[in-house]
Amino acid sequence: MAIVLYRVDERLIHGQVVIGWGHELRPEAYLLVDDELAESEWEQELYRLGAGAVPVDFASVEEARRRLGEWREDARRSILLTRDIRTMRRLGQDRLLAGASVNLGGIHHGPGRTEVLRYLHLTEEDREDLRSLTEEGAEIAARDLPDAPRVPLSTLLKD
Amino acid sequence: MSRSLPTGVVVSAFVRSLAIQGSWNYRTMLGSGFAFALLPGLRHLYGGASDEIRVPVERHLEHFNAHPYLAGVALGAVLRLEADGADPEMVRRLKLAIRGPLGSLGDALIWATVLPGVALAALTLAWLGAPAWVVVTVFLVLYNAVHVVLRIWGFRAGMRAGREVGRVLAGADLAGWTRRIEPVVVLLLGALVGAVVGGAGGLVEAGAPWLALTAVAFLVGLFGGHRTWRPAAVLTVVAIGAVTLIGGLT
Repeated sequence: MAIVLYRVDERLIHGQVVIGWGHELRPEAYLLVDDELAESEWEQELYRLGAGAVPVDFASVEEARRRLGEWREDARRSILLTRDIRTMRRLGQDRLLAGASVNLGGIHHGPGRTEVLRYLHLTEEDREDLRSLTEEGAEIAARDLPDAPRVPLSTLLKD
Repeated sequence: MSRSLPTGVVVSAFVRSLAIQGSWNYRTMLGSGFAFALLPGLRHLYGGASDEIRVPVERHLEHFNAHPYLAGVALGAVLRLEADGADPEMVRRLKLAIRGPLGSLGDALIWATVLPGVALAALTLAWLGAPAWVVVTVFLVLYNAVHVVLRIWGFRAGMRAGREVGRVLAGADLAGWTRRIEPVVVLLLGALVGAVVGGAGGLVEAGAPWLALTAVAFLVGLFGGHRTWRPAAVLTVVAIGAVTLIGGLT
């Protein structure tokens, strides 16, 4: 499997991903799945800057669903990122992410969000989306950095 | 709507950007400093009346982070976009996208390369026998020259490019500069360590007790230098320094 990490992280490519996970997993590509970013060249230019020499691919959810198989068979090791849970859920619809581990990174405080972990704030819709992703076979856990404790979804959604 | 900003406003925004860390905090980080630096521009564009300016100021008070010396790139770009009457949502997205690269490029270039490099250059001068005031002056002038030039360049680049600033940053190849300066820093470090250990008046010449003390300091730094233990590590090194100094004087 060439996609070595599926991660939801509001900031997409940033220090935690490039230094923290990057040093651990040595990715040869980043795959950014986001409908708006896929259309916005000036933003792509900025996110590419954060990845250093590692190439970055941008795809809409629809395109990503089409290319997921190809990415998984690719010899390159890649990290797939979405900026929100909804996008990851749309990507995983119809059991496309069954058996995959989905990592929850940083989602920070905002309107309608409650703190679950220091780096993770969820809305009601987020919780719904996470449940549905799990029902479709994805294995979800939060962990901001590779050496941080892994918090499984069952703990996150416990009230 | 595209409006040009008077030079006074632009200069004022830049001068304020020198204090962008002035109200750094864990919640918004550079956010309030960013709004503070942007304020002359916003006042010019929205008028000074408190009600009209409230909304744009609040937008820019939100969380923002970047390397302080490169934050001017974002500030310049945002100032330009505000003057062009850009959609606030687009400005927000620019700030979201640019903070990561400005942080990582700046950290690698300044904290990990230029700062240790300039410090080592100054220490090399001291080792070569330059008087203390020369060493300190060279350090201060060199270090400040780099960050002031970088800040002016970044702010102007942002002002000129607006939302296309990513292309300008990619073209400037800051990561390439980091790679070019790094070998020099490593060379200076190697030369200095060699001189301090084996050179004239060095540790080997000073004798076993000094070598042992240095070894202790090194090990404390290596194992105790972790963030959590930093106060303990600093205290140990200061204590060793004090002992060394007193030993040297008597």
